[in-house]
Amino acid sequence: MTLDRKTRHPMPRRAFFRTLGVASWAGLARPPAAQPWPAGAKVIDCHAHLHHHSRPSWQEDDRKLIEAADKLGIDQLCCSILTPRRPSTAEGFRECSQWVAEAMRRFPGRVLGYCYVNPGYGREALAEIRRCVEERGFMGVKLYNEYRVTEPVVWPIIELTIELRVPILHHAGHAHYFLEDQPRISDGGHLAEVSRRYPEAMLICAHIGGGGDWEWTIKALRNAPTAYLDTSGSVTDDGIIEMAARVLGPDRLLFGCDNSMTAGVGKLRAADLSAEDKQKILGGNMQRLLARRGTR
Amino acid sequence: MIDVNAYLGHFAFRQLRHNTAVGLMRLMDSRRIERAVVSSASAITYRNAQSGNEEVAAEVKTHRDRLIPFAVINPFYAGWEDDLKICREEFGMKGLRLYPRWHNCRLSDRACLDLVNAAAERRMVISIPIRVEDSRQRSWLVNVPDLPLEEVSELVKTCPRAQFILLNGAGFVNSPLGRKESGLPANYFIEISRLTAVLANEIGQLINNLGPERIVFGTGMPFNYPDPALVKLEVLEASEEVKQQIRWRNAAKLLGIAV
Repeated sequence: MTLDRKTRHPMPRRAFFRTLGVASWAGLARPPAAQPWPAGAKVIDCHAHLHHHSRPSWQEDDRKLIEAADKLGIDQLCCSILTPRRPSTAEGFRECSQWVAEAMRRFPGRVLGYCYVNPGYGREALAEIRRCVEERGFMGVKLYNEYRVTEPVVWPIIELTIELRVPILHHAGHAHYFLEDQPRISDGGHLAEVSRRYPEAMLICAHIGGGGDWEWTIKALRNAPTAYLDTSGSVTDDGIIEMAARVLGPDRLLFGCDNSMTAGVGKLRAADLSAEDKQKILGGNMQRLLARRGTR
Repeated sequence: MIDVNAYLGHFAFRQLRHNTAVGLMRLMDSRRIERAVVSSASAITYRNAQSGNEEVAAEVKTHRDRLIPFAVINPFYAGWEDDLKICREEFGMKGLRLYPRWHNCRLSDRACLDLVNAAAERRMVISIPIRVEDSRQRSWLVNVPDLPLEEVSELVKTCPRAQFILLNGAGFVNSPLGRKESGLPANYFIEISRLTAVLANEIGQLINNLGPERIVFGTGMPFNYPDPALVKLEVLEASEEVKQQIRWRNAAKLLGIAV
């Protein structure tokens, strides 16, 4: 629930768009939300980041993220913390998980945790994932670009997430030029390949709106029916959501912002999809993934 | 509402929807956007940009109450002075859109300055898209970087009599363009489509630093969905009066639209 700023009474987040109105001009009523969230939809941001504690303003920045979620009608945020410099050390990713666990306690029910690891640390990475999921109630694993998802070093992690029944949110992007700072970035094609190898895995290809040529990525994922795609990122190109829904089906899309909050919300709101499909994307599909382990 | 950042026509690297006058106005109606400033998306990559201006002029001819055409002019192309004259006098275009990187030039080039000054003399507003698309999704054929804000900053200083709208930009608060008392003339407006309204809240910072009279609403339709920009205004912590300025008052004043 969100607190009404004047009365301090709880206000359902769903009421957000109905209470924010806009004034008239030239006889027009203030523009209402073009397409408010479907009634009853639970909104889960599948791709969010809390802030590394080396950042002096991390507490304030974390609080702002929750406030932004309140304003935008987002019920839950699936969060990771990444090390500022990568590849991460084992000590570095363990510290991040510790802070995510603290945030889950600080914002109960609002923050769900991804355990970020560097697969290169083998046993330490696996132990950290098991500890975070089994003891701390984390909902998934976050992998970045230390290794391509197709590299064998990543496979034990995928196999562990199958055992634990949790998803992997995998950083991804496809550019038509070499990314010098991300030589081992995975793309939709790599994730499709691995998801065909491990159809029981729940692989989420990250940020269609922040990973380069989104049309390429959507097409690359077409024939990998068990791979998911998250809608996050700062790119708000018209048609991106509709193409993803048309090619992959709405059951494979997960709403996200990757901290580009109004971009994430705005493109979902704008997309020309049925209320039922939007409800799935906004949270229904993620709830289904979380239910495999019983995470709420 | 007045959208200062809209387009008609085709773009070379991606199919656009809602890119005819009728299609765009249908989209505008669905979001209660009353008017939009439009220029040719095709002219960004046409060698002879004037063909795109002609297409836009024909497209908006019967919709001038809703669509406000701007010209795309390449100051290094033969006959640009004639094109500018035709766009202003025959097509009634109230402003320009400049694409210095797409046209392989710099805003400080003599030809660019000549164009800006010629447009200012004709009381045309000069809008400058900082980018067309996110460069990470660029084609393998071209690499057009974002326009550096330092270059824009120099231009507004060099041409104090001109009036500018800066489109599709972000990070202004880290440049003189978005700072208080930067010494720059107050001859430019900043459009919101890529600015944040939560977290870093760049719109709020710019309102504090420059004043609400310098911020204008824009969506980037049909390149972009309109809703992200609409959502920004909905969640922006500002008075209704300030939001009205941003939604339409500032643009109406700048473009000489009677309301």
